[in-house]
Parts: sequence; C-alpha cells; structure tokens
Amino acid sequence: MAASLADAVAALAERAGEGAPLAGATWIMRAPLRREPAASAYVGIARIPELRRIDIDDRSVAIGACVSHAQLAAALAPHAECRALAQAAGHSANPAIRRMATVGGNLSTSAFAAADLVPALLCLDAEVELQIGGTGERMALQRFLAHRTSLEPGWLLNRVIVPRRPRRSAHVRLPLRRAGDYPVAIVSLAVEDEGAVSVAIGSVEPVARRWPALEAALKGDALDPVRAAARAADHLDGFNGRAGIEAPGWYRVEVLPVLVGRAVAALGRPA
Amino acid sequence: MTALTVNGEERASRSGPMTPLLDVLREEFFLTGAKAVCREGFCGACTVHLDGEPVASCLVPLGAAAGREVRTVEALAAGGLSRLQQAMEDHDAVQCGMCFPGMLMTLTDFLRHTPAPTRAEVKAALAGNICRCTGYERIVDAALDAARSA
Amino acid sequence: MPDPAAATMDLPRRDARDKLQGRTRYTVDRGGAGTLQAVLLRAEVASARILRLDTAKARSMPGVRAIVTAEDAPGRHGIGIADHPLFATGCVRYDGEPLAAVAAETLEQAEAAAAAIAVELEPLPAVIEMAQALTPDAPLVHPDWRDYEVLLAGAARAGNVAWEATVVRGDVDAAFARADVTIVDSVFRVGRQNHLSFEPRAVVASYEDGRFHIETSTQVPWSVRATTAKLLGIAPSQVRVTVPAVGGGFGLKFDCALEPFAALLARASGRPVKLVNSRREEMLTCLCRENAEIRIRSAVTAEGEIVGREAVVLMDCGAYGGEQIFLTTMTAHTLGGNYRLGAVRLASRAVYTNTAPNGAFRACNGVYNTFALERHTDEICAAIGMDRLAFRRRNVLGDGDLGATGQVFEGDVLGPMLDKMVALRAEKPSRAPRAEGRLHGRASVVGTWFVFVGPSAATVNLNPDGSATLVTSGVEIGSGSMVQALPQIVAAELGLKPEDVVVRTADTDAAGYDVGVGGGRTTVSLGAASTAACVEVRRKMLKVAADMLETAPEDLVLAKGRVEIVGIPGSGVTIAEIAARAQSLTGPISGSGAFTGPGVAAMPGCAAGHFIEALDIPVFAVHDCEVAVDPDTGHVEVLAYTVVQDVGRALNRRAIAGQIQGGVVQGLGYALHEEMSIGPDGRILQSGLETYRVPLAEDVVPVEIHLHEGAPSIGPLGVKGAGEVPILNVGAAIACAVADATGRRVQELPLTPPRVLALLREREGPLELAHIAKDWREKVLG
Repeated sequence: MAASLADAVAALAERAGEGAPLAGATWIMRAPLRREPAASAYVGIARIPELRRIDIDDRSVAIGACVSHAQLAAALAPHAECRALAQAAGHSANPAIRRMATVGGNLSTSAFAAADLVPALLCLDAEVELQIGGTGERMALQRFLAHRTSLEPGWLLNRVIVPRRPRRSAHVRLPLRRAGDYPVAIVSLAVEDEGAVSVAIGSVEPVARRWPALEAALKGDALDPVRAAARAADHLDGFNGRAGIEAPGWYRVEVLPVLVGRAVAALGRPA
Repeated sequence: MTALTVNGEERASRSGPMTPLLDVLREEFFLTGAKAVCREGFCGACTVHLDGEPVASCLVPLGAAAGREVRTVEALAAGGLSRLQQAMEDHDAVQCGMCFPGMLMTLTDFLRHTPAPTRAEVKAALAGNICRCTGYERIVDAALDAARSA
Repeated sequence: MPDPAAATMDLPRRDARDKLQGRTRYTVDRGGAGTLQAVLLRAEVASARILRLDTAKARSMPGVRAIVTAEDAPGRHGIGIADHPLFATGCVRYDGEPLAAVAAETLEQAEAAAAAIAVELEPLPAVIEMAQALTPDAPLVHPDWRDYEVLLAGAARAGNVAWEATVVRGDVDAAFARADVTIVDSVFRVGRQNHLSFEPRAVVASYEDGRFHIETSTQVPWSVRATTAKLLGIAPSQVRVTVPAVGGGFGLKFDCALEPFAALLARASGRPVKLVNSRREEMLTCLCRENAEIRIRSAVTAEGEIVGREAVVLMDCGAYGGEQIFLTTMTAHTLGGNYRLGAVRLASRAVYTNTAPNGAFRACNGVYNTFALERHTDEICAAIGMDRLAFRRRNVLGDGDLGATGQVFEGDVLGPMLDKMVALRAEKPSRAPRAEGRLHGRASVVGTWFVFVGPSAATVNLNPDGSATLVTSGVEIGSGSMVQALPQIVAAELGLKPEDVVVRTADTDAAGYDVGVGGGRTTVSLGAASTAACVEVRRKMLKVAADMLETAPEDLVLAKGRVEIVGIPGSGVTIAEIAARAQSLTGPISGSGAFTGPGVAAMPGCAAGHFIEALDIPVFAVHDCEVAVDPDTGHVEVLAYTVVQDVGRALNRRAIAGQIQGGVVQGLGYALHEEMSIGPDGRILQSGLETYRVPLAEDVVPVEIHLHEGAPSIGPLGVKGAGEVPILNVGAAIACAVADATGRRVQELPLTPPRVLALLREREGPLELAHIAKDWREKVLG
C-alpha cells in the first residue's frame, strides 16, 4: 500500500514489470474467473491523496486516477459541459461497483471493451498524465489507448484532464437489460457552441474510438435526432463489430444510428 | 496481520492482503451472513458496508480494508429487527433467503440517502442485487413501506 | 373432521427472521473445525479416451488427505437406464466431467493437488448438437448402450437416442388425409436455462461407525441416499442424509450431485469433507433445463376443430440420460395438453450429446412445449382466420374430455379460467399508449401442468406440552411449503396454533421415504401424509379425552389447543393435559401417515415408454401479457402481466402470490434474457453472471394475480401445488405477444435484443429443422 505517488512509482520500478498497480480492484480480483494468473505483487495506490482528488478550475477538470465512478458522477453533477462523463460515471455497472471501480482502472484495462468512461472522455478531448519512471508525460487519450499495451513496464496513470469548453454532451449506452449490464454499444457525443461535433463509440470494437466520418458529416448541422441517425447509418462502413458471447458484431454496429439519434435527443438545449 | 474494525469490534486477520474480504469474514470470523454467489460483483449477495458504503466484499482485497470499518448484515438488527428487516418480514418477502443479506445492506444505505424514494428509484438502486426467487416486487414494496414508516 | 374454514391462512414464515439477520446456516455455511476442503478435477474436453490418470504425485502434496477416482466408485446410476458413473470411466463424455476428487486441509492445497494429477487424454470425435447426434454415422456417446441395466422396461432406444416415449391414439393418417382440413406445420427451438440457485450444490459428508452422514443442499434426500449407495456399492441403509435450509433449488437439486464424492473422500480420509461447486462449475455443469427442438403439425377444420395432431420433440439430455429420460413422459401432457384432439401421435426423444448433462427445472419440459403449442396454436388461427381467444375457448379441455393418452379429464377448469381472463382484459384499458412509438403486442395463452404426487410418509408426535412435532423428509427450499403450508395443515387437523407445530428438518434416519420436494408436490403429498398421521393422533387424543370427560369421542371437538364437548365451550381439557394423561396411561401419543398417487387411468395401449401415463392432479394456468418491442434495438419491455392460476384451494394466498411473482419472473428470464450457448468444442460459453443474464429489478413488473379455486383435487383440503406452475406459460405468453407486435414468426427463445432485431430485419430465413422429418414414422424408433 503506497503512501505517495513517488513511493508507488518506486515500488513498481523495483518490481520491474512483475508488479501491478491496484486501485479499485474490481478487475484484478476477478482474474481467477478469467483464469488469468495473478501478478507476483500488487502495489496499492488507492490511498495516495493526489490520485484521489478532483480539481476543477476555469480551464479544466483534473481527475485523479483513483477517483471512483461514484465520486466522479457526484463531483461533475453541477458542470453541464461534462454531462456525458457524469452520465457515464453514474450509470456504469451497478451502484456497488461504481463505488469501487476507478477512473484509472477503467482506462488502463485494455481487455475491457465495454468501459463507459473511455468514449465519454474521448468525446470530451481528454488527455492523460502518466508517470513513467521518474517523469510525467501527458498525451491525448486516443494516443494512450493505442499505446497502453506497449508502454514500458512500471508506468502509472496519474490524472485525466478534461478541458472545459462551452459545450453540450451526452452519453448513451445500450445494455441488454435495462440496468446492471455492461453496454453492448455506447455513443458519447459532444457539441461545441461553434458547431464542432465530436462522437466517440465504445464497446462496438475492442477499443473505443472517435467517429471522424460522422463528426465531419454532422459539423455545422442543425442537430436533429432523426437526421443525425440517418447520417450515422450512412457512415457505418468503417466499423467491424466485435463478436461476443452477449451480442454478435453486426448487432453492435446496426444499433449505432439509433443510439446517435438518442444521444442528439439527450443533448438538451444550448446553454 | 491486518487490523480492521468489524461490526464495531477491532479484529485482526491472518489472511494475505489479496484475500477477498468476503472470505475473511466468512472463514475467519464466521460471519456467514454475506454470501459468495457470483464472486464477480453482479449479484450483490456479498454486499457489506465499508466505511459506511455498500461494496461487493468479494472484490475487496483484505489489504484495501486495512484500518477501515466493516459492517455486515449480522449487525443490522440492534436489539430487534431494523425497520427494513421488519418490513421484509411483514411483507412475506423472504423465500430462499440467500440474497437478503446483500439486499438489506444495499437498501439500508439507499434509504439513508433517499428517505422518500419512488418505486423506480428503489429498483434502480437494486441494479447490483439479484434475487432468483421472489421476482423483486415484494422486496421493493417492503423497502417503500420501510421508508414511509420512517 | 376439522373445518377447513378454520385453518389458519397466510401464516408468516418462521424462517424469515434468521434469514434476514444472516443467521441461517445453509450447507455452504457449514463444516466446522477439522473439516477437509475438497475439489473435483474435471475434464476440459468434450470427448476423449482416458489413457492415464496418475495421482501419485498429488497424493504426496502438502495437506492432501484423500484422493478418489473411478476405481473407488464402481456403480452406475440413472433414471430408466443406469448409464451414469460417478467419475468418467474409460472415456470422457462431456467438458466438465469429473476425473478425480481431492480432499485437503485447505481449499488451496486441494486445488494445487488436483492440478498436479497427471492426466493423459486422447481426443475422440464428439457430437455437440442433436442434429449431428442423429445422423446415421454419428459417433456414439455410449457405444455400449445395449449393455446398460434397464430400470424401466418398455421404451425404444438406439444409438444416441437414449429413450423414446410415444403416444398414439386414433387414426392420425385418416385425420390428415381429410379433404376439409388445413394442415399447419410448425417448428421451434429453445436453448438451455440455468437454475442459478444462489446456493450452489454443496455437501458436508462424514463417515462414522460404519455409516455415512451426508449433510447436503438437496431437494431429494432419499434419492441422494439411494444413488450414493448405488454408486458406492453399499446398502442404502448405510447412508443418512440430513438437509439444512436450502438456498434455492428450482429442480437443480432434484438429483444426487456432489454427495457421493464427499462421501468417498470422508471414508478415505476419516475426516468430515466439504465440497462446494464454484459458480463456474455451476454454470458449466449445471443440470440445466434442456435445449429442445420441436416439430408439431395439426389438421384443423375451418370451424377450428383439431382433428389430428402429431409432434416430435427432441430433448438434449447431454452425455447422460438423467432426468430427461423421465421427462420424455411429459410431452404427452404438455404438448399434448390444453386442447381436445381428434387423433394424436407424439414422440418424445432424449438424445445423447457430448455436452454437460441436463436435468429438471421448474415445470420441466412443459415450459418449452407450452411455448411451442401456443405459438403453433396462433399459427393455426392465422391459417384458418380464426380469433385466437375464440379458438382457445372452443378447444380447451373440459369435463369428460380425453387427454392425449386417453385419460378422462374431470371438471370444467380451463374454460372458466379463460372466461375470467377475457373479463379481466375487458376491465382494463390496453397499455398500448405506454409503448410510446414502439411495437405493441398482446397475447393470452393457456397451459396444462400437474402435481407430481408419488409416495410420502409423515409422523406426528404429540408432546406433553401440547405441541406437536411433524417428522417428514420434506425440505424447505424457499417456497415456504415446509414452514407455512404443512404447519397450517397439521394445526388445522389437531386444533393447534401453527406456531405449536414443530417441523423437523429432513433426516432419512428419522422420517420415512419421500420422493422429494419438487413437482409442486410438497403441500399435496406431504400434506396428505401429514393429514393421515394427524387422523391417528386425533383418534388417540379423543379417546383419552373421552375417558377424562366421561363422554363419547364423537361428542368432542378440537379447537384452539383444547378438546371441548360439542356446544359447551370451556367444558373440556387442554391438549397438553391430554398429552400428559396419555403419557402416563398408554405412553406418548403419535401417529403415522402415508400417501401416494391413486393412479388415474390412461387408455390402454396408447402410451409407450412413459413413467406417468395419466395425470393424477392436473393444474391449469392462463397468462396474459402486453409487450412493447423497440424496432431499432430489438428490446422487449413487458408492460403488463396477468395470471389466472388453478390452485384447487388457496391455503396461503400470500405465499402463493409470492410463488407466482417469482415464477413468472424466472419465466421472463427464460423468455427474454437467459441465453446459454454451447461452443463448437462442447463447452457452455456463459461461465458467470456477466454473460448469463437473469432479470433484474428494473426488468420486471408486478404480476396481477387471480387464483381460481374449486377445481377438483385429491390434495388435503382440496389444495394443488402452486409453486411450479407459475413459470409454465411465460415463454409462450411472451413469444405470442412478440409475434403479435412484430408480425414475425417467433420460433425460438430466448428473445434477446439481437434475436428480435434479426427477426425484425429478416436477417435469417425461417428455422427449418430438416433433421426432424415431416413423415412421423421416419422419425420414431418404436
């Protein structure tokens, strides 16, 4: 159980790739069910004060890696421009898991395709701060997602930074039951006052990503749910839905247009 | 040894830091109220309060509970059933009973924060608590009744 | 005779308080100091020859106290055919089949030792699907099937067809050849359903003074006793089975399971041994409701008369026959039920595959056959252009009508129940507006089920304090029968308060034989046996009281813990006084009672290979539901659900309503959410609750419940079992409502969002089931 960020990084470095950071533990404690071997050592980071903070100023929201989903949802409630993220944090999994599972875990678990926070943060142009060795590094979330499996051992996710801009956003998830499921498809959408639209898709492919073709098609459009859904239907080509026990790949892709329509409808009025 | 407070009492566990809190409670302290059903955080049968908040004790490593306060279903009835427990009995809600320890820990906390809930809010609060016997509605009725009589 | 009207109704559960405080100790909570922990080593391949199984290294590992294998358990067990050894013997027939059992001081040590057992397997060809198993050159799951001991003669068997039950009544060919009929041909397919009882199968066994004591989570203590003995090659009297509170059964625990492993390990180690299935083991080797494939054809006149019907049902029994052998019997009464039929022939086949064995699950067989029958009925209505309710009202079984096997039904039950549902539909506005732009659908469906009677025994001891102790082998699995219905019945018979009736938990050393808790039989069979025991107790009590009060026994009545002279309240004595008096005069008062099914007749020669040819106590149900189907995602929301259920007589309306709400919701899981799929390698893909989705609180609605009383029943006070039947019609109701909403031909369950969207978008052609030939004679053995 590390007391500070420096201690944690040192402890991970000492174990040279054999150790793993442990925060909410909701993924790691299920390793036996996935029939995965446990790491030889875990470095507890859940009590490091700077990783548990949420700092909100005029320009950005900085979220410590060990902030839980429930804490994040509560902290963001008054901030309308982050609504997609608040909705993602407030509706993932179930209440007990939301109290335990952390932002850092949600972003760092590459095997978990249905993570709610990832598309929400992608559509809000979030960046991540990593500790690699003794130094901090900041990179766009999209880049982190592409590199997280090939980073040098010993790295630690420190904070996630979400820029604050005047915008509306929404997070729409499609679980197979009404609640308590991992979603089979997620659409996170944000619209800036100048008309720029960002759309991120989660759970459809192994890794969440932005949908540039649709973003271009919607830019400057007077957003309307039906028209947005139709435009989404025109741009499904690039998706290769992942087959899973719970849903086939075609299903995840075919529901995207209606989810885009719902996300547009959920945006609410311009501020 | 890992020190923690369980139902108001200082306890120490010999188990390793990655041992699920659930197993420490059941195997070491013989508090078998919390049940191991899915061990993946979906069923809620192992729910206990950790520093006052309901969590899935199957996913809490003992090390993460060190120095913290754990409250289990065994401590809910202090000198008589709690209002919620009494409502469950009055509504004939119990069947096999395996899910109730977790249901009660979830709902006790929920009603503390939401003293006058709607039916839909109670159901949403139970998203992580499965019951295989009752079909839920009577559990929801009892929770609403407990809130009303508070 | 006691007055049924005086019976206590709506008795609260005596076990609720401890369950609410986490104090109830289920089998999983037992096993004190000194108890060894056990695990099973299971095969991870669907079909293989066992070349080598070497336990030498594992035996020397730390903490290991015993390892047992096939050599320690020579017997085979089964229903109808003894085809099932305890351990894989010679070959592996399914992924998950036990190879060895290990007991050690700790679970970790047992797991480590199991992993250290050297296993060499040579993979063999496997048959995973029934279509594959039925091809002429399919590998045989049991090449030696001819050599197995047959426990019930009369059924056709061959190769991968483990069992075939047939019904033939009347001239079906002539009916189908009539010029004035429309022929409707339907096929259906359903997947498996996992019980997901919260308490997994679990046992603590010990071996002392030459006898086994098995403490276990079961519905059938006497089956556990008999099967353990058969597998171990010992006398059944050497096995004592006791059962603590059971954390859910639903049929999963209607068979012997882990008990013989723990018994063997206890004898080998000389220590108590605890064995509990992990959730993964429960998911992968659970005795599921079987997957099934159904073809049903009917010849129907323009007026809606069903002049001929024929059907074939394929039931996947997995690698061993198990309960499915028995359940082939039920097709006659479920798929062949509900309606008056001119001529009929049915075949129900249990088919071996290299997959985990299936078992019994609440209204087993009936749930999918009712789905198939009711969807087929709607397809008939569409084909002849007749209203669905009018067709049903015209054809449902009534007083004096013949069932499929020629039994004569007594009383008009389904007709008036259907009338009640029609009236309920008229009373309330449709929920169509709540569909809010989605597709709205509605259906009312009927179902026929039964009470599985069979033998039960009970003893009632009158205690000197005026209380009574009821001793049976009944088990409380959550339904409340043992803590509500039985004390209510005994109290009514003896004039006691239900609180003064002690109900002994199941112990095969203390109580007589019982079939077990399942099939809705507890209240009926154990209730009837208890009633008979009370009759003897009452006779003895009244004799003593008559002497004490110097009057004739006929002039005495029992009420409120007292015996009074008729018409003179306060004239008599307390039951406690009688008990004390009897103790000194004649010795303590006790009574014993027994019950078994009276055996209603079928038409001779109609049925072959059946365990039950006619229903002693039929039970009927009518369900109505409204759904909204999302055309964009395929999600089905249940808007309203109504049940009219035949209960004979309601002894505890509140408890029955609890069973109906719970049973309907379990049925909603089967109809909408709970999918089990089997991979090409024969392993079940859903290994936990992340992928196996049961209904959550937000997925369900309060069920509107109407109890239909007064139908004939031989049960005590006129009762029928009420806990099993609520799940019967749910798949049918949902499927028919979704078909109504979408206009699509619903042929499969569960209706998960991807399956419904595929239907709406017509991604796949209709289900064909080409392996079930249209010519009935080509598809039966017998």
